[in-house]
Amino acid sequence: MKESPYWNPRHETMPRDQIEALQVRKLKNLVAWTQARVPWQAARLKAAGVTPDSINSLSDLRRLPMMTRDEWMQAQLEKPPYGPLLAAPEEVAIRYHLTSGTTGRIPLQVLDSMKDWEWIAEMWCYGFWGFGVRPADIVFFAFSYGTFVGFWGAHYACEKIGALVLPGGNMTTEARVKQIMSMKATVVCSTPTYALRMAQEAKAMGVDLAAGPVKRLILSGEPAGSIPATKRLIEAEWGAKAADTAGMTEVGTIMIFECARQPGGTHIIEDHYIEEVVDPVTGDPVGYGELGERLITSFGRGFIPVIRYRTRDMVVRVPANTCSCGRTFDIYEGGIRGRVDDMKLVRGTNVYPRAVESIVREYKEIDEFRIHLYTADGRQDEIEVLVEIPNVDGAQADRLLTSLARSLSEAHEGLRFGVKKVENGSLPRFELKAKRLQDDRIVIGTAGERRVTA
Amino acid sequence: MKNAMGIELTTSDRTLVECYQSLVRVLRESSELAPFERRNALKAVAALWQVVNGLDLDPGNLYDIGA
Repeated sequence: MKESPYWNPRHETMPRDQIEALQVRKLKNLVAWTQARVPWQAARLKAAGVTPDSINSLSDLRRLPMMTRDEWMQAQLEKPPYGPLLAAPEEVAIRYHLTSGTTGRIPLQVLDSMKDWEWIAEMWCYGFWGFGVRPADIVFFAFSYGTFVGFWGAHYACEKIGALVLPGGNMTTEARVKQIMSMKATVVCSTPTYALRMAQEAKAMGVDLAAGPVKRLILSGEPAGSIPATKRLIEAEWGAKAADTAGMTEVGTIMIFECARQPGGTHIIEDHYIEEVVDPVTGDPVGYGELGERLITSFGRGFIPVIRYRTRDMVVRVPANTCSCGRTFDIYEGGIRGRVDDMKLVRGTNVYPRAVESIVREYKEIDEFRIHLYTADGRQDEIEVLVEIPNVDGAQADRLLTSLARSLSEAHEGLRFGVKKVENGSLPRFELKAKRLQDDRIVIGTAGERRVTA
Repeated sequence: MKNAMGIELTTSDRTLVECYQSLVRVLRESSELAPFERRNALKAVAALWQVVNGLDLDPGNLYDIGA
């Protein structure tokens, strides 16, 4: 029998009308479960006049209340540690995890049962199998295995697929590179930033990664996995194909993955989630091809039902047939484009860290960078990009800095960018989510993105 | 046996579903299982739940039996 390129062939190639029928049926079940088991959520649904029987099509979804991270955090604060969100007794849980804390005041804490945990791995299987990982593969995880859920589910997905798993926690970058080479790993899982970090380390060690055994990289944790320039650089350094995935602790696993055809975007796992894209200000739906914020409804983890959760992730949804793989799951073109709250306003111009990275990564000589915002003379916003360029000095370095500053300015309505070369190794390196933007602006009384100082 | 989409399951599908149903039944009804039996059966149920769910049989949740 010919091996399927799909993890669940029937679901992944289902006609759109059947996918929607499946989603409506699962939504009714989810609402019924939530109403019966989570009084806090039941009250919200009741206030919105929603019952399972009143859901007959996906357009009924809009009658369900959205849930924000702030509401989740507040609920946790009022009834610690999990808030009134659990649909099952804590004693049934076998796993505890929390968010990485990149957004918001306190981390969100979640629990999973045995069945939920298995489902979490199941979602990763869609991605790994879809990108071509098979039982014969040897998969190295450059991951710290802590309470951040990260690649935990991916680890178990690879065990489920039957691949040999190399759990690379608590290792130096040098030790990881050595193990990848000595164990002949064929797949490496890491953040995009750390994939580049390992490539740097390999160069310093005299190791030619591109001539090595790695054929595939599975990236997650940062939008950079779908930034073309970053991805090209990673693929060139490793001599391997790189696929983007994205997940979130709030659902415990990934909800999107890039298939082997690499269509420039990530398929939504639509038999396990309903993903909506809305205007982040009005909450109104936006159409195919338009930038908006994604909302997620998850049919997986029953322990903490997630209905119309505002993710703050910005995406552009396009139809499934944008890809030639045969899946009928729609696609987020360019993966996660950034966060609603990522945008910085500098002298009237919008600056997105992702857009800056996509330009910086066009310069292969740059090893690491940082975006720095500060206030000049106590009154004017300035932006500078600090770069490490090993092995490039003098006039050649000056030309690169000038060229980068011009490219950044041209992409930002003429906004002046300072670009400075800094000492090699002086900028921080990241294993998990990279934080390359430092906002030191001093503005009295401005709420929101700016730091308020006395 | 048809799933929730009205599709007839294959013989192999049905065998897996019956296996899942048997395990759930024994976990619910038997109080005589040794720890090694109960906990391993729960692991198996958690895995087979993914199959039954993927076949659109709407298996619901299993927290009442500890999975």
